[in-house]
Amino acid sequence: MFLQPKSVEAALAMMAEPGARLLAGGTDFFPAQGEQVIEHPVIDISRLADLRGIATTPTHIRIGGAATWSEIVAQPLPRGFDALKAAAKEIGSIQIQNRGTIAGNLCNASPAADSVPPLMALEAEVELLSAAGTRRLPLGAFILGNRKTALLPGEMVSAILVPRNVAENASAFGKLGARRYLVISIVMIAVAMSLENGRVGQARIAIGACSAVAQRLAEAEAALVGCRKAEEIAGRLHAGHLAALAPIDDVRATAGYRRDAALILLRRVAAAAMLAAGN
Amino acid sequence: MPTVKMTVNGKPVSAEVEARTLLVHFLREHLDLTGTHVGCDTAQCGACTVHVGGKAVKSCNMLAVQADGAEVTTIEGLATGDTLHPMQEAFRDHHGLQCGFCTPGMVMSAIDLVKRKADLSEAEIRAGLEGNICRCTGYHNIVKAVQAGAAATRGR
Repeated sequence: MFLQPKSVEAALAMMAEPGARLLAGGTDFFPAQGEQVIEHPVIDISRLADLRGIATTPTHIRIGGAATWSEIVAQPLPRGFDALKAAAKEIGSIQIQNRGTIAGNLCNASPAADSVPPLMALEAEVELLSAAGTRRLPLGAFILGNRKTALLPGEMVSAILVPRNVAENASAFGKLGARRYLVISIVMIAVAMSLENGRVGQARIAIGACSAVAQRLAEAEAALVGCRKAEEIAGRLHAGHLAALAPIDDVRATAGYRRDAALILLRRVAAAAMLAAGN
Repeated sequence: MPTVKMTVNGKPVSAEVEARTLLVHFLREHLDLTGTHVGCDTAQCGACTVHVGGKAVKSCNMLAVQADGAEVTTIEGLATGDTLHPMQEAFRDHHGLQCGFCTPGMVMSAIDLVKRKADLSEAEIRAGLEGNICRCTGYHNIVKAVQAGAAATRGR
């Protein structure tokens, strides 16, 4: 059964259908489907204008859940979003960026979802909508594990909210993969940073693909406070800051390689964020 | 079965299809537009690239019913009579293909790329075509063809 609701309210009502699944850009949905026949009801929300668009509220930047990567890249946004845009430009390929959506990337809950570290570094919250109303969760409380989220039956991710004061920080993103596009990341880092009198005031660092859920690196963040020059950043960051990671061995990289690569990438991206913050 | 209506290469089409029909299968099997190829069926290779609403998408990654009401352009819709589109002409002139399997998707992606930014560097072309995989050419002549096609499109 294929359902194409004309409004968000209609979509929420259709979600009462047993086994129903939401379809937005489909860029994870179809490859995961493989040869299996789609037997469950599918609710196509990719055309609901109310779920798209990017707006500025008095307190937040609000990105509609069904906004595509191409739409996010094309939108003028504060520089805190530079990291997210950099990630968006390397998600899949242009054809994928034209279809794939931000909420889809979060709901798919891959440990290697490229949008998660940039959004975590921006203290993003997820807006969850159901027939009963809305609730908000910090992104870190929304993604619970590999392919696991806090979505309840009947709920959809209607928007991603980023506090405007955090969005004013400079940001940078880096990822390592076997190639640049169409590849599952080995490690990615996003850093958002503010300067006070030329020194690092606050750094927010998130790392993905090195644990079941991307995470903030609080000790590394603390180690950067007061740093005066981008050249000093590498010396302040060491392997101990990555102790909380739990990288896996797989076909893409060994756990040891991931740890080594993560530290190098962390130093580079943090330095890039500091240079961006000084400009 | 749902009925889908869309405009394909400027012509209105309408058909009853199973909801699970992918756009690429609708184009190939219902409309006999076999210029759009199925390579990997997993949204990686780009052979199935078409334009939906003016944007390049992988048609193996979308249901036909999702394109209901949309304007769709395939490789068959580019030429005007016997006159090839400048990008097609450029692929021929620069030998931007060997076996030709990836070529329809390459041309569709190249046109999307040039439409968004007319003056492209070699690096931008290579990055912009990352979603299209060619197993024969090593991409060198494809990049040359896109550069020439971009220039010819600008001059048109």
